[in-house]
Amino acid sequence: MLTFQILANGLVLGGLYACIASGFSLVWGVLNVINILHGSFIVLGGYLAFYAHAELGVHPFLSILIAAPLFYAAGYALQGALINRMIAAPVLLTLSLTFGLDLMLQNGMLLAFTADFRKLILDPPLGVLALGPVVIPVDRLAAMLLALALTGLLYLLLSRSRIGRAVVAVRMDREAAALMGVSVKRINAVTFGLGAMMAGASGPLLATIYPISPLAGTVYLGKAFVICVLGGLGSVPGAMVGGIALGIVESFGALWFGPEHATTLSFLLLIVVLLVRPTGLLGRKGYE
Amino acid sequence: MTKTPRLLFTLVAGMLAAGTATAQDVIRIGAPLPMTGPLSPEAVKQQRGYDLWAELANKAGGVKVGGKRMKVEIVYVDYQSNTPRAVQAAEKLITQDKVNFLFSPFGSGAAKAASSVSEKYQVPTIAATASSAQVYDQGYKYLFGTFTPNDTLTEPLSDMVRKQAAGVQRVAILARNDLFPLAIAQEMEKSAKKRGMNVVYFEKYAIGTLDHASALSQIKSQAPHWIFATGYTNDLILMRKQMGDLKIEAHVVTMIAAPAYQEWIDGTGKLAENVTSAAWWHPAVRYKGKDVFGTTENYVKLYQAKYKAIPDYAEASASAAGAIFQLAIEKAGTIDRQMVRDAIASLNEMTFWGPVKFGPTGQINSLEPPVFQIQKGKPLVLHPQAIRQGALQLGIK
Repeated sequence: MLTFQILANGLVLGGLYACIASGFSLVWGVLNVINILHGSFIVLGGYLAFYAHAELGVHPFLSILIAAPLFYAAGYALQGALINRMIAAPVLLTLSLTFGLDLMLQNGMLLAFTADFRKLILDPPLGVLALGPVVIPVDRLAAMLLALALTGLLYLLLSRSRIGRAVVAVRMDREAAALMGVSVKRINAVTFGLGAMMAGASGPLLATIYPISPLAGTVYLGKAFVICVLGGLGSVPGAMVGGIALGIVESFGALWFGPEHATTLSFLLLIVVLLVRPTGLLGRKGYE
Repeated sequence: MTKTPRLLFTLVAGMLAAGTATAQDVIRIGAPLPMTGPLSPEAVKQQRGYDLWAELANKAGGVKVGGKRMKVEIVYVDYQSNTPRAVQAAEKLITQDKVNFLFSPFGSGAAKAASSVSEKYQVPTIAATASSAQVYDQGYKYLFGTFTPNDTLTEPLSDMVRKQAAGVQRVAILARNDLFPLAIAQEMEKSAKKRGMNVVYFEKYAIGTLDHASALSQIKSQAPHWIFATGYTNDLILMRKQMGDLKIEAHVVTMIAAPAYQEWIDGTGKLAENVTSAAWWHPAVRYKGKDVFGTTENYVKLYQAKYKAIPDYAEASASAAGAIFQLAIEKAGTIDRQMVRDAIASLNEMTFWGPVKFGPTGQINSLEPPVFQIQKGKPLVLHPQAIRQGALQLGIK
């Protein structure tokens, strides 16, 4: 019975991980920008939900609707104003740029919100879903479903809409896309906006589960890295698959080898995937 | 040398001499702190504690040194949460900033590393956040600490549970794999076994863990009577929430160190109810001290007035470290390092922090850390008897 409980734990944890990683994967895959700001965007989304709930009584799931357009606009503006200026530079330079911006954002949040940990508590709580002896917390399940929905929407957007096809075209061949009349700069900004939107939308979800603090983003970022490489860079379903794979591996790893080795096992898995399938589980050659 | 440069030289020399004269009227205490990096929230707490003491001491005209009063100045250096840099920072404070005394960097590890520098330059140093006995057993003469050893937290707690809940036999321990949280978990294992309890689960989790569900599911399958978990505020908010998610029940749940912080109580809400903890100090304790703060109530009042928050033990310990320097300097009547060191070593005074007397290794041995329990959203002191506010309640859902 313990095995089923651990499997359920792993699945819902994987849903959270997919939430954390999908926007990061998109930006990395399409723009070749490692957006160190991603973790802090999630935290900022969390603060938004926390204060909307504490001051105005807004349910965190509703806050997602506020956070998504706000973060999209902020991401679009940031890409247009700053990151586009060095988009052609080697990846290490854009990494340094987002790293610097992240330091500023983190310290700004420290000043604005202080270092205290905050937690969004729902009253009454969402409770648990009991399937026989296996219990699944509803908030995590909701987060997983939302991650699935957001991922699905993003997937549809990328595969069906004109702008989505342009994003994919830029990912496949920047020069050729430009020659076909795609405004690469605009598509870059749209992509970064979408990435920021995904981060901002996961913030309120994670705020119901994790304590919020200005520096919490670093841990999310570490997970996002692993998930992206596991799932395949730039592949939206890849982030989902990578997230769930990581969630399950960590859960069973903790059971079999002790909780302190859960992360060791996930990094081992990462090395194996890199050796056997360097493009990740769902990644395709030629996209990077 | 022509006249003008000579005049200039005299002027500059005069200004320099005046500068030195003012500098001598100030007691400078160096404080290396992790102001940036992962430990920065802790540095904020330490700084608040030191600043509150310095401000109060200066408001009263300064510290009495023989016949005169000297102002206090705390010289901060950021060591970026990096222990080797903490050692460099301590050395810089002593050799370049010419501080008279030193506060240790944060935590047992960094305090131990920096203590060799204080010893080399013979600078009296007080560690406000180092509890491990290994910090003090190096034979050093200039290091003092305001935290008692870790077992002084787990022993009274185990005694209480043994006496008041005879049915508690099976103990599960889950510890953050980090210096202090792991050390306190190991002390708990010893305390439980000493009293004939059965430790059915003992595991560690990695720093930065985002999920405790697997470990907690395993603990649930062992049906323990007492769950003892260690970590910091964020770890234990998440862990308590996940215990609720997994419908784990037990007679006693103890968490160290988070429930000592109001943010943990706020962050867990109703789930905080009946969780027990222990810390070196708690705002609910009541001592009448001879130090600059006087009573514990007065300390809490001053702290609240300045920071609009309730002080926790780390902040109070930093203030206590300052108050202890002040008591020792006033007793020695000088800021001579050797004499102040001897005054600290022989100190035996009541303070807002509790009774202060240091053992032969320099670690405080007079303090009886309070055990407390969250009841109706408020922490109540269960031990020691003299400051007890309530009785242990069993049952956690």
